Amino acid sequence: MNPYLLIVLLTSLGLGTALTLSSTHWLLAWLGLEVGTLAILPLMAQRHHPRATEAATKYFIVQATAAATLLFAAFNNAWLQGHSDIQHMSHPLFTSMITLALLLKLGLAPMHTWMPQVIQGVSLNTGLIVSTWQKIAPFILLLQIKQIHPPLLTIIGLASILIGGWGGLNQTQLRKILAYSSIAHLGWILLILQHSTALATYALLIYIFMTSATFITLKKCKATTINMLTTTWTKAPTITLVAPLMLLSLGGLPPLSGFAPKWFILQELTQLNFIPHASIAAMAALLSLSYYLRLSYSITLSLSPNNLPECLQWRVNYPISTPLSSALPAALALTLFLLPLTPSALTLII
Amino acid sequence: MSYLVCVLLFGLMVGSVGVAWNPSPYFAAMGLVMVSGVGCGVLICFGGSFLPLVFFLIYLGGMMVVFAFSAALSAEPYPYGWGNRSVKMYVAAYVLGVGCAWKVLLGKWSGFWGGILDESGELLVLRGDMMGVAAMHDVAGWMLVLGGLGLLLTLFVVLELVRGVSRGGLRTV
Repeated sequence: MNPYLLIVLLTSLGLGTALTLSSTHWLLAWLGLEVGTLAILPLMAQRHHPRATEAATKYFIVQATAAATLLFAAFNNAWLQGHSDIQHMSHPLFTSMITLALLLKLGLAPMHTWMPQVIQGVSLNTGLIVSTWQKIAPFILLLQIKQIHPPLLTIIGLASILIGGWGGLNQTQLRKILAYSSIAHLGWILLILQHSTALATYALLIYIFMTSATFITLKKCKATTINMLTTTWTKAPTITLVAPLMLLSLGGLPPLSGFAPKWFILQELTQLNFIPHASIAAMAALLSLSYYLRLSYSITLSLSPNNLPECLQWRVNYPISTPLSSALPAALALTLFLLPLTPSALTLII
Repeated sequence: MSYLVCVLLFGLMVGSVGVAWNPSPYFAAMGLVMVSGVGCGVLICFGGSFLPLVFFLIYLGGMMVVFAFSAALSAEPYPYGWGNRSVKMYVAAYVLGVGCAWKVLLGKWSGFWGGILDESGELLVLRGDMMGVAAMHDVAGWMLVLGGLGLLLTLFVVLELVRGVSRGGLRTV
């Protein structure tokens, strides 16, 4: 792509999120969301093959619908209330409508169906941006809305965790697996949002680190299906060593960082006496863990048959370097080693 | 009156659908003209005097113009800019000619600015929409600039998505 245009688009991506994060008026928040949506469309359709074009079209239609609903509800609320402040919304119907619009933007069940298709259709780097950066702005808006109908968030959160787990079970395409994992993680975040915004932010932060590490690893291995993961040991033995830990961190196992958000969310839910919610969430996390384990099995725990020249790729092509390679050590360190640092990490957020 | 609003809103829908639903986007401009007209009518039915005219202006002078030129630009296989070899000479000659005419005809700077209206400082009717637009520019002027930046970004995004002579959205082959 033309480098000038690439710079403009990436800057606008950052600008859109920054606008939304710094806004107290719904119009500016909507403006930031729209700028973010528009800026990523050419990045998605870069390859110009039909699947990418289709993914860009679907993404645009879904995000535009959500933005239109958001604007409609925000202005209705402003008409009834007299001001367009994000943090002082009072009308229950329009608060729910805005919440649903933001959840559609995030890709939570039952409005999740676009996520696997969109992330599958785009390249791994663009999928990384859609999975991580584009979640920040709607999440921050959700944090600021008070008095959301509690059953709404709980039901959608639990449904997302379940659908994220069950949907990913039958997938062989890695990008679809990561899309369902994104749905599940955002379900966990939504579950705790009404009770503790600090924990929700922490969960989102850890999710962003883990997903970034996973996408960059897949990009380095040039793997888009599970079958392609089986030759990782020939290309990058170090990644073969670390990748299962990264995937188990996504699954939420101690002593890796992914355990911390789940642990604290379950603790908070039990302290507030939401036992069924905590139980269902914990058990549904096992569904996600099963497909992460399947990926670890393909990468590390089994050696697939291969012919001799291909077993020595790491001698010839070392080091594999993609544009995001330099971010991988940082993302991996944050994915694996953050659990002992949780108290100080939480003080950054509370 | 409400029947008129219903008819106009129906026309708005038909025009909007007409913008998107056509084999050739050059005909979509007609849909934009229709939408601007009936949209202006809808706003008038709800009591506006300034805003309907602004609506007309933005739709026809902003949206339709940009739509038409971006449709034409994205379908152009070899767009000739000012820097192109065959155009540079003409551009240089034109600028030279304008400079000479300026010097010859408008030798002195008279300071005449052609005041349009006498500034009476008194409006007969304070319309809500006019005062609202003024207040919006006063308070949220910078947000309007951001909105303009967003629209500029939209133009770049659309041109990037649609371009490509044979593999773009708008084909000239």
